[in-house]
Amino acid sequence: MTSQMTRRGFLGGAVLLGGAALVGCAPQQSAAQPGTLQKGAVPEGTPRRGGRLRLGVIDGNRAGTLDAHKPLTMGSIIRGFAVYSKLWEWNAEMNWSPALAEETEANADATAWTVRLKQGLEFHNGKTITADDVIFSARRLTDPSLGSPWAALLFALDREKIDKLDERTVRFHFKDGQGFVPFPDTFTNFGAIVPADYDPAKPVGAGPYRLKEFTPGQRSLFTRFENYFKDGQPYADELEIIDFQDEASRIAALQSGQISLANGIGADQVKLLQGDPKINVIVSETNNWQSFDLNLSKEPFKDERVREAFRLLVDRQELVDRALSGYGRVANDLYSPQDPTFDKSIPQRAHDLERAKALLKEAGQENLEVELVSAEGGDAAALVFATQAKKAGITVTVKKVDAATFNGPQRLDWTISTGGLLTESFLSSALHLDAPVSAANKTHFSDPRFAELFEQALTQPDVAKRAELVHEMQRIQHAKGGLIIWGFNNALDAASSGVGGVAPEHTQFATWRFEKLWVKETA
Amino acid sequence: MTVPTPAASPEKASGPQTASGAGPGLEGRTAPGAGPGPGGPTARAGWGRWLLRRMAYGVTAIWATSAVVFAATQALPSDPAMAILGRDATPESLARLRLELGLDRPLWQQYLTWLRGVLTGDLGRSLDSGTDVGTLLGGRLANSLALLVCALTVALALALALGVFAALRRGGPADRLVTSAAVSLQAVPGFVVAIALIILLATTVWPVFPAASLLEPGISPFAQPWYLVLPALTLVVAETPYLLRQVRSSVIDALESDYATAARLRGVPERRVIWRHALPNGLVPAVQATALTTSVLLGGSLVVEVAFSYPGLGGALNAAVGARDIPVIQAAALLLAGGVVVVNLVADLVTVLLTPRLRTGER
Repeated sequence: MTSQMTRRGFLGGAVLLGGAALVGCAPQQSAAQPGTLQKGAVPEGTPRRGGRLRLGVIDGNRAGTLDAHKPLTMGSIIRGFAVYSKLWEWNAEMNWSPALAEETEANADATAWTVRLKQGLEFHNGKTITADDVIFSARRLTDPSLGSPWAALLFALDREKIDKLDERTVRFHFKDGQGFVPFPDTFTNFGAIVPADYDPAKPVGAGPYRLKEFTPGQRSLFTRFENYFKDGQPYADELEIIDFQDEASRIAALQSGQISLANGIGADQVKLLQGDPKINVIVSETNNWQSFDLNLSKEPFKDERVREAFRLLVDRQELVDRALSGYGRVANDLYSPQDPTFDKSIPQRAHDLERAKALLKEAGQENLEVELVSAEGGDAAALVFATQAKKAGITVTVKKVDAATFNGPQRLDWTISTGGLLTESFLSSALHLDAPVSAANKTHFSDPRFAELFEQALTQPDVAKRAELVHEMQRIQHAKGGLIIWGFNNALDAASSGVGGVAPEHTQFATWRFEKLWVKETA
Repeated sequence: MTVPTPAASPEKASGPQTASGAGPGLEGRTAPGAGPGPGGPTARAGWGRWLLRRMAYGVTAIWATSAVVFAATQALPSDPAMAILGRDATPESLARLRLELGLDRPLWQQYLTWLRGVLTGDLGRSLDSGTDVGTLLGGRLANSLALLVCALTVALALALALGVFAALRRGGPADRLVTSAAVSLQAVPGFVVAIALIILLATTVWPVFPAASLLEPGISPFAQPWYLVLPALTLVVAETPYLLRQVRSSVIDALESDYATAARLRGVPERRVIWRHALPNGLVPAVQATALTTSVLLGGSLVVEVAFSYPGLGGALNAAVGARDIPVIQAAALLLAGGVVVVNLVADLVTVLLTPRLRTGER
C-alpha cells in the first residue's frame, strides 16, 4: 500500500501553476476583510438565462486535457467542474455533501459504503445514469492501465468487488476488508461519473455544461446542459474557459472585458482591481495552507529540538502580512481546521526567538546553514523565512526551482522546502502527507503511535469517537511533526460586475461553481 | 555563413564598411557557409554549386541543432513523466507513463525514432496533451508568422523611410531627432512597451484594442486583425530602431563613398546619385539586418506572446520546456533552426541580387 498519492498536485495547480495566485508576492501589506467583497456588493438580482461566461485560467506551461479521471493541471480540473458531476460535491465549508448521490451511508466500521443515486439523472447524451455507470467510473479512475495519479487516492478501494444492489444503488468495499472513512473525500475531487461507454476524445458527463470545442492550451467552449440535475441551473447559454500564461495579461483582459472571471488572482493584483468600478474582488477565507516542510530523515531535523526551534523562530504573522500580503491568517502547524474532529484546544504556537536560540544551542546547531528549496510561487514566503531564521543565527539559502524540478526525482529529498495544500478532511490530508501509507511523505514523518491511531480512525465513522483519535494524532503532529504550517491563505478571485452568483465561500471555488453563475443584462 | 560583401564587393570603399555597419549581429549568425565568389564564364555553375553547398550546410546545421537540443532536454532536471503527472505521482503510474511514452528505451533509440519520424513527416505526439505535434505547432507557427509579417512590414517600411530621411539630413536637427528617438526606444525593454501599449490602447486611457490576443483557433490571424495590432506594434517599436540605424549608416556610407563622389564630379544630378547609386548599395546591409531581425522574431517574440497571451511558437516552446515535453521542444527547435537557415539563405540571395558584380559574375 505504498501507492499513496497526495492531492498536492491539486495545490500544485493552485500554487505552482497559478504562480502568485495564492501565495501573493506583493511586498506591501494591505489589510483584507476576509470573507467579504472588497468593494461593491455581490451582484444581486434574479438569475437570468443567457449570455456567455468567460473564465480566464492560468495553467502554467501545460496544455491540459479533458479526461474525467486524469486531469493533470489546474485548468483541466476546472474544465472538469464544467463537464462532470460527481456523487458528492464540496460545499461552501469544504465538507462533502451529496450531489448525484441521494443518500450515502457507511456501515459501523466503514468497511462498506452504500450509495444511492438520485432518480432520473441524465448524462449529456440523454442516457440515464445508473449503478453501472457509477461502477464503471470508479473502476476507470482506479484502472492501472489508465495510469491516473489520482487513482492512488482510492488506493484502499477494492475495484474487483463493487456491488450493484439495484439500478440506482451501489455498495463499495475495500481491500482486505478494511474500513475507509474518507471514501467520499477521496472520491469526490476526481470521481467524475461518466457513462459506461465513455470516450475521453468525446467527453460526456453530467456536469452543468457540455463540451463544444477544445483547443488545448488556448481555450475551451461549453454550452448549457439543459437536463442538469440541479433545477433551473445552469443559467448562461455558454461558458468559455481561456488559458493564459501571464497574470498581467489575464488581468488586462479582465479589465478590458475580454473575460468576465479570473480565479485565484495574485494578492498583488487586488489593489489594481479595487480601483476598477467594473470589477469585483472576491475574498474567500479558506483553510488552504502554506508550509515549510522539514525532512525529518535528514540532519539537522532528526533532532526534535531543532524542529521545535524552527517552529518557534517562524514569525507567522509577518509571513501572512508579507508573503500573503495580509490575505490570510496564521496557522498552528495543523491542517484541516474545518474538520469536525479537529482539536481546537491545542494552543497556538507563538513566535519565541529566545527559546528557539536556546534550543539550537542545546542541540549544538547555533550556526546552522540550510538550503530551502522553493517551488514557483513559494519564494516570497521562503525569502521572508530566510530573514527570520537569520535572527536566530541560521543561514537559510533559498533555491527556487521550476515545477518540473520541484516535483522531480528529488522531490522527497529536499532538506527543507516550501509546501502547502488545499484543505480537505483530516484523514484525507493525512493520507497525502504523513500517514503511514503516504508515499509522498516529504517530511518522512513516521511515528508508531500516530500510525496505530490512524488505522483506528480509518474504521471509525462516528465523528465523536473519531475525534478522540484525531485529537491524539494532532498532538503528536504538533509536538514532533515535520510540517511548519504557518498560515492559511485566502482565495482571491475577480469577477466582472456583469456576472451574478459569485459569492465568497470557504473554498477556492467562488468563480468555478459554474452552475450558479449568470450573466447580467448589461454585460 | 559569410556575408558575401567584403570579398566580392564592387566598391572597395563601401564594402567592408557596410559589412561592419550591419553590427555585431552578423558575426553572431554563424551558420556554416561560404560566399558565392563565382567569377568569369563559370559564374552560373558556381552559382548553382554555391546554392547547393549552402543548402547542405543548412541541413547539417538543422540536424546538429536537433541533436544538441535533444541532449539538452536530457540534461534538464526532472523527466517528462514526473513533469506530467505532478509531484506526487506513484511509482506505478510513472512507470506506466514512461512505458507509454517510450521513455524506458535507451536515449539513442529515442532520438533515432524521433529522427525517423521527422524524415517521414511525423513529428510525434505531445507528451503533455497527447495532440499531434504537427497540428499543435502548425497553428502556432501560422500565428507567429502572421505576427512577424505584420511587424516586419511596418518596421521595415518605417526604417527605410526614416533611415533614408535621416541619412539625407545627416548631422542636422531632423537626423539628430530621429537618431536619438531610435536610440531611446531601443533602450526600452519589450515588456515595458507592451504594458504601456496595453494601458494606453486597451484598458485605461483609450480602450480601442483588445488587451489579450485571444485568437479564435482554427481561423487565420489575418481574419481577426484587431488581435494583431498591439503585439505587432510592440515588435515594431522594439525592432524599428535597429533597422533604422542600419539603413541610415549604410546609406550615409554609400552617399560618402568614392563612387558617389565620382558620379557627382561627373555631373550626375544628386537625385540620381541618391536613387540609382547610393540607395541600392545602401540596402545590402539593411537586408542582412532584416534577416537578423527576422531570425530573432521567429522564436524570440516570447515577451510579446506572453504579454498579450498571443498563441505563438515562442510561447509553445517555452511551455514545452517547462513541461519537459520533448517532442514539442524538438519540433519547435527544428522549425526555428530551419527558419533561421532559410531566412539567411534568402537574405544572401537578395544581397547577391542587389550587388551587380555578384549577380553577373564579373564586371
